[in-house]
Amino acid sequence: MLAALFLALGASAYGAPRTSGLWWMPDVASKSGEQIDQLTYFIYYLTGGVFILTQVVYIYFLIRYRARRGVRATYLHGDNRLELVWTAIPTAIFIGLWGYSNHMWWDVIHTESPKDTMEIAVMAYQFGFSFQYPGATGKLGRSDVKLISADNMFGNDPTDPATKEDFQSGVLELAIDKPVRIRLNSRDVIHGFYIPQFRIYQDAVPGRTIDWVWFIPTKIGSYQLACSQLCGSGHYNMKAQIEVVSQAEFDKWYKEKVAAAAGASSGNPPAQMK
Amino acid sequence: MAEILADTFPGEAHVSHAHHPELSFFRKYIWSEDHKTIALQYLFTSLFFLLVGGSLAMGVRFQLAFPGAPVPLIGTLLPSWLVTSAGAFQPGGYNGLVTMHATVMVFLVIMPLLIGVFGNFLIPLKIGAPDMAFPFFNALSYWLFLLSGIVLLSSFFVPAGFPASGWTSYAPLSSHAQYNGTQAGQSCWCVGLFLNGLASIAGAANYITTIINMRAPGMKMFRLPLPVWALFITAILLLLAVPVLSAAAAMLFCDLNFGTSFFSASNYGQPLLWQHLFWFFGHPEVYIMILPAMGLVSEILAVNARKPIFGYKAMVFAMVSIAGLGFIVWGHHMFVSGMNILLSATFSFSTMVIAVPSAIKTFNWMGTVWGGSIRYTTAMCFALAFVSMFVIGGLSGIYMAATPVDLFIHHTYFIVAHIHYVLFGGSLFGVFGAIYFWFPKMFGRMMNETWGKIHFALAFIFFNCTFFPMHNLGLNGMMRRIADPMLYDHLQSSQPINVFCSVSAFALGLSTIPFLVNFFYSIFKGPKAPNNPWRSTTLEWTVPSPPGHGNFETTPTVYHGPYEYSVPGMEEDYLPQNQPAPETARLAAH
Repeated sequence: MLAALFLALGASAYGAPRTSGLWWMPDVASKSGEQIDQLTYFIYYLTGGVFILTQVVYIYFLIRYRARRGVRATYLHGDNRLELVWTAIPTAIFIGLWGYSNHMWWDVIHTESPKDTMEIAVMAYQFGFSFQYPGATGKLGRSDVKLISADNMFGNDPTDPATKEDFQSGVLELAIDKPVRIRLNSRDVIHGFYIPQFRIYQDAVPGRTIDWVWFIPTKIGSYQLACSQLCGSGHYNMKAQIEVVSQAEFDKWYKEKVAAAAGASSGNPPAQMK
Repeated sequence: MAEILADTFPGEAHVSHAHHPELSFFRKYIWSEDHKTIALQYLFTSLFFLLVGGSLAMGVRFQLAFPGAPVPLIGTLLPSWLVTSAGAFQPGGYNGLVTMHATVMVFLVIMPLLIGVFGNFLIPLKIGAPDMAFPFFNALSYWLFLLSGIVLLSSFFVPAGFPASGWTSYAPLSSHAQYNGTQAGQSCWCVGLFLNGLASIAGAANYITTIINMRAPGMKMFRLPLPVWALFITAILLLLAVPVLSAAAAMLFCDLNFGTSFFSASNYGQPLLWQHLFWFFGHPEVYIMILPAMGLVSEILAVNARKPIFGYKAMVFAMVSIAGLGFIVWGHHMFVSGMNILLSATFSFSTMVIAVPSAIKTFNWMGTVWGGSIRYTTAMCFALAFVSMFVIGGLSGIYMAATPVDLFIHHTYFIVAHIHYVLFGGSLFGVFGAIYFWFPKMFGRMMNETWGKIHFALAFIFFNCTFFPMHNLGLNGMMRRIADPMLYDHLQSSQPINVFCSVSAFALGLSTIPFLVNFFYSIFKGPKAPNNPWRSTTLEWTVPSPPGHGNFETTPTVYHGPYEYSVPGMEEDYLPQNQPAPETARLAAH
């Protein structure tokens, strides 16, 4: 009866339609996110089943075995066969679940991204994000965390000619269905790179470059990149705009940016943009 | 100390009684070396801190439900680092509230309530000892704990106020004043935790020594009541884990104030080192905060179901394996920290494995109530609720243990829901149950059962209303530690849930009033308690309520295990540990 309350609570919460977005996960917008959702649902049904099963049995016991006059409790210290059963079954389930989840971890994080992946450098700082795109060659220039300074916020390596073509943006503009790899850095403290619709989270750690996060956006739309690691007094509002657009629209944006950067780099070093 | 150890040998019982003249007020209540008085000192102090930590939580919930609204009544009285001139919380001040709420609750409430109060009170009484092995260190431990609390809370009055880098204090935010802006407050945090660590270490060494050396004759290890087992294992965890935090806090203090660079990104420092040190302590810490509650709850369940605990040895082995595995799972806090992703796979495996002993314990609790004759006392209600809440907290943990799902819900309100189901629905419900259960022994009076039930019902309902919807907030992608969810497009639709959680949280805060009134009223006006009001088997119930100095008139002898309830062939349905079984009794070998 006690647990019935949150059963009811949970049921009403989970029963509401997903499209409202009020009670449930935001609609997934990346390829790996779709896989991750399958696992989330698998665990949801697994844990939901275990929860209902254990609570129904438990509540039945609590009613059935309440103190009654003249009825004495059963004198029993345990049962080793039962112990074995309820050790072996959870062990098998947990190890199986680990196998499933670890396989997926390999899939979404550890495998090589496709050949046509675009690499984008992301710099997190108190309190915002900045992005650097590869120039016309399509290859992001080398960078080194040791070179990060006020004048060179991405730590671009001036000996690599590709860095001259790179351009910066304050918006994370992405083409639909085009794989993106993130080269993640932080200039000051640890920040989080979190896009709930993409089901992606990764900390940006000062002093090291994290380059294993990649994803494929699958839905056109506007999203927000949020910092999800407490990073100081401005943390609550540290975010950046993400625009997932069609390939044609992206190409148009990209060409304009490349042209502007080429014009700028003929005379000046790449401009700092927010 | 030698004379106290001597007390444990039969035949030399209680020479110490004769040697104790009437103690001065100072020695009796202030610098007391009696474990029972120290336990009560811990109890009153940590209940005070519970109110402090709870008030901070109210501030957090107010801000999340009504971001930017002025705090009613006290808003304009608060210092300028915390609120704007209109009396609304500043984002930086909000970070301070979050940080201090968690730090106070973990180090000044849950740990001392479980370990300081019940460790001190129960261990000597349950093993048949006159006191702790090192009474002086025991007193020192309490005073260090109090000092640590004063240092931590004094950060309210320093320039820029509370430390604001989270209870986890990730470097380099915490280690550089130019990043956190709260150098003085963060320094208080380091010093406070260092002192708190010393208190824990002194207590833990004491508990281990006492349990190993001072058990009454016949009290074999496998005859120890489960709370003693739980506290014994917890003490070992404390002794191995807390020094790591103390060292890390000292290093952080040096980084912050003396320009060292243990945790900075430059000068060969390493920000992730802080996380490894913190979580190497922090994960055993999670079990430090739940194992004693598991022990206390196990006993309350057995007594009130009038049944032997189901699978006593399985319970002990489960706790031992939790303790062992607890030291190799810390990386699951760091799946997405930038640590090598191969390590994430490894830590995910150990995390899945550590769920097994928790499952075993749950099934054994259910086995204990099966076939019982359940008395629904207030203590029992809290203990029964503990099991259900722990199941929810355990099951939600599986989501985080699966690394890909953690990519999505890491650092969201899902984890906030999870931790509160374990620490509030788990540990704190266990503490409430234990207070109702052992109150008669502590104060010699009974608490009011009706008001106890009212407290239970309110706490149970509003606890679930506050924390269950946080799972949904987390699944909707609401980040932890943000002062204003309305600033994010994807969170605006879930703002009504935040309001609901907050209103429930205020009600949950108010639900402690019946408890506190009942508690303080009963200390003075409750009906006198008999020696053994719950008809329990363990040794603390064989002595007067409250027990005198030195606990036992003569050292008891123990004849059997701790949970001989409803033994066939006996008229009474319980067989105290210090009484030989009557010939008619048919005790089971187990």
